[in-house]
Formats: sequence, C-alpha cells, structure tokens
Amino acid sequence: MSTFLQILIGGLLQGSVFAMIALGFSLVYRVTGIVNLSQGAFCVLGAMAMYLLQTVLDLPVPLALAGAALVTVGVVVLLGSFTLLPAISNLPPSSTLMLTAGLLIFFEGLVLVLWGSQPYAMPPFSGEAPVVVAGLRVPSQGLWVLGTCVVMTGVLWYLLQRTRTGRALRACAENGTAARLMGIDVPRMMLLSLAIAALIGAVTGVMIAPIASMQFDTASFYTTFGFIAVAIGGIGSFVGAVAGGLVLGVATQLAAGYLSEIFSTTLALVLLLAVLVLRPSGMFSVGRPQRTDVRVDQHAHRSLVRFDSAASVTLGLMLLALLASAPFLPLPPGMMESLSITLIVFIAVLGLDVLMGFAGQVSLGQSGFMAIGGYAAAILSATYGWSPIFSILAALLLSGICAMVLALVTMQLRGHYLALATLAFALLIDSLAIGLVDLTGGPSGFVGIPILEVGPLAFDTPQRMYYLVLAAVVLLVLLLAGGLRSGFGRALMSVRADQSASAALGMRVGHIKVTAMVLSALLGSLAGSLYAFQFQFLSPDMVSTMRSFQLIAMLVLGGEATLVGGLLGVAMLTLLPTLFQPLATYRLLAEGALLVLAFRFLPEGIYGRLVMLAGWMRPISSLPRPLATRETTETRV
Amino acid sequence: MTRTALEAINLSKHFGGVLALNDASFTVPEGSLCALIGPNGAGKSTIFNLITNFYPASSGEARLFGETLTGCPAARIAARGLVRTFQTARVFPGMTALQNVLAGARMHQHSSGLAQMLWLRGARREEQALSRRAEGLLDLVGLSAFRDAAATDLPMGAQKMLEVTRALMARPRVLLLDEPAAGLNDTETVELAALLRAVRGNGVTIMVVEHNMALVMNIADQIVVLDAGCVVADGTPVEIRGNPRVIEAYVGRDEEVASA
Repeated sequence: MSTFLQILIGGLLQGSVFAMIALGFSLVYRVTGIVNLSQGAFCVLGAMAMYLLQTVLDLPVPLALAGAALVTVGVVVLLGSFTLLPAISNLPPSSTLMLTAGLLIFFEGLVLVLWGSQPYAMPPFSGEAPVVVAGLRVPSQGLWVLGTCVVMTGVLWYLLQRTRTGRALRACAENGTAARLMGIDVPRMMLLSLAIAALIGAVTGVMIAPIASMQFDTASFYTTFGFIAVAIGGIGSFVGAVAGGLVLGVATQLAAGYLSEIFSTTLALVLLLAVLVLRPSGMFSVGRPQRTDVRVDQHAHRSLVRFDSAASVTLGLMLLALLASAPFLPLPPGMMESLSITLIVFIAVLGLDVLMGFAGQVSLGQSGFMAIGGYAAAILSATYGWSPIFSILAALLLSGICAMVLALVTMQLRGHYLALATLAFALLIDSLAIGLVDLTGGPSGFVGIPILEVGPLAFDTPQRMYYLVLAAVVLLVLLLAGGLRSGFGRALMSVRADQSASAALGMRVGHIKVTAMVLSALLGSLAGSLYAFQFQFLSPDMVSTMRSFQLIAMLVLGGEATLVGGLLGVAMLTLLPTLFQPLATYRLLAEGALLVLAFRFLPEGIYGRLVMLAGWMRPISSLPRPLATRETTETRV
Repeated sequence: MTRTALEAINLSKHFGGVLALNDASFTVPEGSLCALIGPNGAGKSTIFNLITNFYPASSGEARLFGETLTGCPAARIAARGLVRTFQTARVFPGMTALQNVLAGARMHQHSSGLAQMLWLRGARREEQALSRRAEGLLDLVGLSAFRDAAATDLPMGAQKMLEVTRALMARPRVLLLDEPAAGLNDTETVELAALLRAVRGNGVTIMVVEHNMALVMNIADQIVVLDAGCVVADGTPVEIRGNPRVIEAYVGRDEEVASA
C-alpha cells in the first residue's frame, strides 16, 4: 500500500510538471491557435539561465529565479516577434506548427552551443533532506514543484477570467478579427501570451532543475510530454491541461513502478492515441476544433513553380551525369558515404513530399516508418538470417500495414491533431526501439547488420552502395513523376486544396489520403532499410523523432511538391556538416534556424527560388488581360 | 415521356430550433433547366446541401433518377452523375486552371495510379485525351488564356466559370449550380447563359440557384420559388412572373408596404 502511495506521489509530482508545461501550451493555443512545440525549450532555457546565475554568478535563489525568468522571457519575446508572430498571420497553421518545431530545434542547438551536451544539476532550494509525512518520503523540492503548479494555475485563472488583459486575451482566442475590430491589439496580445508561456516555462524549468537533470535535448522530452498531457486533456482547456498532466504523470509512474521503466513512455503514447481516437478533442474540449487537417493555403503557388518539361529533362540529365560521375571525382574521405546517405535520406523525403507536399497531410511520423524499415530489415537479416532483399520487402509490407492502420485510425482527426497523432506514432515506434532491447539492441543500437546482397551482387564497397542507391533514386523519381503528373497527382493536390469540393467531384477522399500515407510510408521504410545496410548498424537516435523534424526541414528548404527539390535540402543538411566537421556543435542550431527561416522567408524552397531566378517560366502573377473589364451591372428583382 | 431526373420529397431541415427548410417537394424532369429562386435565407443553398448530403436532412429524401440519395456519400453521389458547384467559387488553390479542370475528370480516369507511375502507354494516352478535352472546354468558356495560370489568381468571374467548367469535365447527368452568375459582368452572364443552354442541349439536367432574374427568366424551363424555407411556387417563368405569392415573397405584403 505504501509503495502504491509512494508511486502515486511520484506520479503527482511528475504530473504537475507536465501540467505546467501543458498550461503554457494551452495558453498560447487559446490566444494564437498555434500548438507551440518550443514550449519544452523554455523550461531548459530557464533552468540553464538559473544555473548560470545561481552557480556561476552565485546569486541568491530568489534573485537568480527572477533573472532566469527575465532572460527566458526576453529571448522568447525577441525571437517570437521576429518569427512566430509574422508567421501566424502569413502562414497556414500547419506551417506555423512546423516553424515552432524549428524553434524547438533552434533552442536545443542554442543550449548545446552555449552550455555543451553534459547534464546540469542544481542544489534543491531547501536542502537535500526529504520531507517525511506519515511514513511517505517526499523530496522537499517536490513540494516546491507542487506548490508552484497550484499557484501558477490560480494566477493564470485569475489573470484570464478576472482582469481586463485576460478578457482581451480571451477575445483574441474566440475571434481574432472581431477582437481587432474592437480595438484590441491582437499581435501584442499574442506576444503577451507567448511571454507568459515563456515565464511559465522558465519557472517550471527552474523548479524541476534540482530533481531532474537538464541538458540540451531535455527540451524535446518536455515538449513531448507536455504536449501529450495537453492532448489528453484537450488543447486550449486549462482544467484539461492540469488534469491531463496529472493523469499522464500518475499513469507513467504506475507503469514504471509495476511494469517496467522502459515501457512507461510507450504506455503514455498508447494512452494518447486512444484518447485521440476515442475523443479527438481531448477530455475537456474547448470549442470546435478548426478544420485544418489539410494545409489550406490560398497562396499555395509552390507546386506551380516549375521548369518547363524540356528544361527539366535537360537539367535532370545533367544532375544525373554529375551524380553518376561523383565516385570518379577527387572527394574528401568519407564523402562517398555521405553522398549515399544523402540519397537514402532523399528517398524518405520523397515520401514526405508525396504526403505533405502533394496531399497536404502534415506528418511528423516519417521517422517512425524509417525505424520500422530499418529495424525490421536489420532483425530479419541479422537475427533470422533472411536474405537482405527479402528482409527489405518484408519491412515494406510491415510499414505499409502500419501506415494503413495509422491512416484509418487518424482519418477523422482534425486540426493539429493529425500532425500530433503522427508524432505520437513516431514516438511510439521510438520508445519500442529503445524498449525492446532483446529485439533491437535497445539504446546502444543494433550491431552486425550484414552487407546488402542481391543474388550474386554484393554491395560491399561505398561505390557499389552509392550506385545501388542512385539507381533506386532515379527509378523512384521516374515512377513518382509519372504518377504525380497524371490523375494521381491531381487527386492528391485536390485533396490538399479542398476535401469537400474534391468529394463533390467524385473523389474518394479517404481512399486518396490512405494511399498517400501508405506510399509515403513505403518510401520511408525503404530509406530506413537502406540506411541500416549502409551503416551496418542502427540505433534509436538515427531514426528518432528529431529525424522527422529534420526531414521536414529538408523538404521545406528544398521545395515542397517539387519532387526533386527535396534533394537540395537533403544535400544542404547532410553534406555541409560533413564538410565542416569542426562546427558539428552548431549543426542543431543551424538546422533549427534554417527550418524557421525557410518557412518564414522561402516558402517556395531553394528549388522554387532557382526556377524563379532562372526566369524560364512566366511569373505566375502576370496574368493575361481579364476576360472582360466592363462594369458589372447586375439586374436583380 | 421524359423521366424525372431529380426529385425532392418533403425535405426538411432544422438547425437547432431554426427551421431552414420546411417540407420542400419538387421534381425536375430530365434534360430541363430548373431555377431555384427566393430571397436571402429562403433555404436555396440548404436544398443543395441536403440533396448532396453535405448535411443530413431532418426528414424527407431526395432522389436521383428514382433512387434515393439519402445516406449516399458525396463521392458516390458524383459517381451517380450528380455534380455540384459552390456559392463561393471553390477552385483548387495550388493548381493551374487546366489542372483544376482536369481534376473534374477524376471519375473518368480509369488507368490506375500504378499504370500512371509506370508511364504505361494506355495511361499516357488517357491523360492526353483528358487534357485535350479539358483544353477544349476551357476554350469553349473562353478561359484558354488562363490555362497555366494559378486558379486562385483568376478574376472572380473567371473563377466561377472555371468551377462550372470543372464540374462539366466530370460529365454530370445532373448539374447543380449555386449562383453561377454572382460576380459575373453582363458579357460574362450572357456567355454563361449560352453555355448553360448548350449543356442542357446535350441532355444534361441543370438546377441552378440564381439571383439574376433576367438570366433566370431567360434560360429556365421551370422555376421553384422558396420563401422562409417553404416552396411557395413552382412553374414556368411565365407562370411565376405573375404569381402574387412570388411578388409577396420578394416585395412584402401590401399591408407591410403600407405600414412601412
């Protein structure tokens, strides 16, 4: 019994941390309509600033706390006003969601550059000795955390419900346009909500730093669990945020206590998927979820920016000749492998382009399919001695089935929930890859993957592997180009543009979405398998959810819905780090910054910009003269 | 004797306590052009949305060539030959005008996605044939200059026309047009009238919600008048023109006019 109570207390403690992060999520969502994935980074920023002020500058706790909060809020407001705020009014919600993912990566990179990759721990506020109540031991810092959570919830409630500013904030949430018409400075309110969320995050980070070790990638952990909490509770609901946080904390602690530490994350994700499927808007839903499951984008010119067919054939052949002759060029050591990896990752990006670029379905789950493809191929070929080619095919089958189930289960999801459900899927696969140690080798990775052999051909040198991958890429691009320039591609784009209008023209929207998801998953799976054979090693890190964000960054940077554009993005984010090895620390920072900048300033991608620069196409906005220009005089009864 | 193409039988729709449509019944014979008119809020678009199952009817049913449409999913309705346009032109952003029109042919593209991916001869031939037809239609409605322009960059009138063209590409047996002339200027309206006549001439049944009375009186075979959710008149343009209840619906009752 006392064990149970002890676990329960641990769960409530953990839960109140999740609840506080969830509060930040909910507040920003209520006011801006954006799920801010960088919320978890606010905690880490706050904690790191606290460390600096408390341990290095030796300030007393209250002063250091105030300083850390100030620094975090300052940084967030500064960055937010240049990136997030303009994006909210200019970009579709799904792009803004990605932009916040970019901010998360950017913040992680920033912490990595400034504080390094080691974990930090701080002394508890009131000594190491735990408080003992009726035989139950509670760490003293835990009481600080619980207290902060209660006070924070109360203050936030008072602020929103009882003050003028709170009313203005709520008005922005209800109807931004109407609020603006009533004289409310909506952008200022949005910035204010972001500032409050940063404050919440910083205080949370400071409070938990003494009992949880903090390092640069803790940010994704807090974002993930805060988000799971908020999705369980219902995005936008403060009661839901707290309830969701507590439920999640207790459930994961119980699972860790009675089942296994390793599967507590898996359980949390299963819980989340169940809630998403059964109650798509969470336990305490607020209002109707906006219908943004596809990327409604009235200015979606991306897919129209094209080279004409003659130019694209010429350029394609030139690119192919360059790629085919690469092994004969004097390359720096390791470059051959990097080129193969570039092409392999490009296959996964191709899949993402089909799903996200053409069909407009935001997916954060591509890394999950890479993981399935990689691990299935590795396990079948190494552990069970299947021939590599059959293990790749079996992996494809498995991924296809998983994708179909995922697509059917998430069919009804609206808004950010679709993107978030795919994220949950990727995290679930990730947690299985870490947790199923006997099968996958766990966190330390899977070793001993054989050399890829197809019949008598062994791809045992970097050059041979490179040519194999190049041949696969050429074949896949040709196949996809054939489909996407025809009816299949138009069906995907129609669904992206307007689902109900597509259905009214006889398109089976559900069918099309499932097809896109499966096709995308197959490409992701193939990339994962090749990736495993390329390295002859696979670890969860290599196919973690960070990889999903990276794939999106590559796609957007290169150019969505362009098929080959992704290659430019992949090359940039894969080859540049190889060339500038000494700057490896800055990689994460650069990736985050590039993702944010690409969404903000280069929506048509490098590819689109190249096309525009080449000037080989008519600018789209220069239209022929309107049909008739006479004044309209309608006759009405 | 002509068949009945479209039939509404006691269609009603409540939105909460509001009765948007009350027991509406009418029939549209095959190959005719029926106009649905009435003041704002009379329930015209509601009828379209009920027929095409955009939302379920509270009671009553709609039939297409004698078979019920109740519970039939939107894509299936289109496959059965009933295609609609929307009150606000819903062209597909991110696609050119030609791609928009071609999207209408989705039901008639029989080659599989796999065949298209493999660049099979049959799939390419079919694609070419559809492209020719789409270009022909664009030419017919005078939009061929916009062929490769982004659909959303077209002027409003051209977008409405493009939506009609896209619907035609689907080869409908019955075409529902929601205010096709809204936003068109006089010339374009005349062109629209000619187009609708030509389409009807090919045996397509057309039902159109329209405010432009000159256009309606000019092209309709039959007019159904709605007021406050009820069908108040149903007849030929000549019959409707003189119908006191129609005048009442639009102008108001005598005493109201007097008191105002």
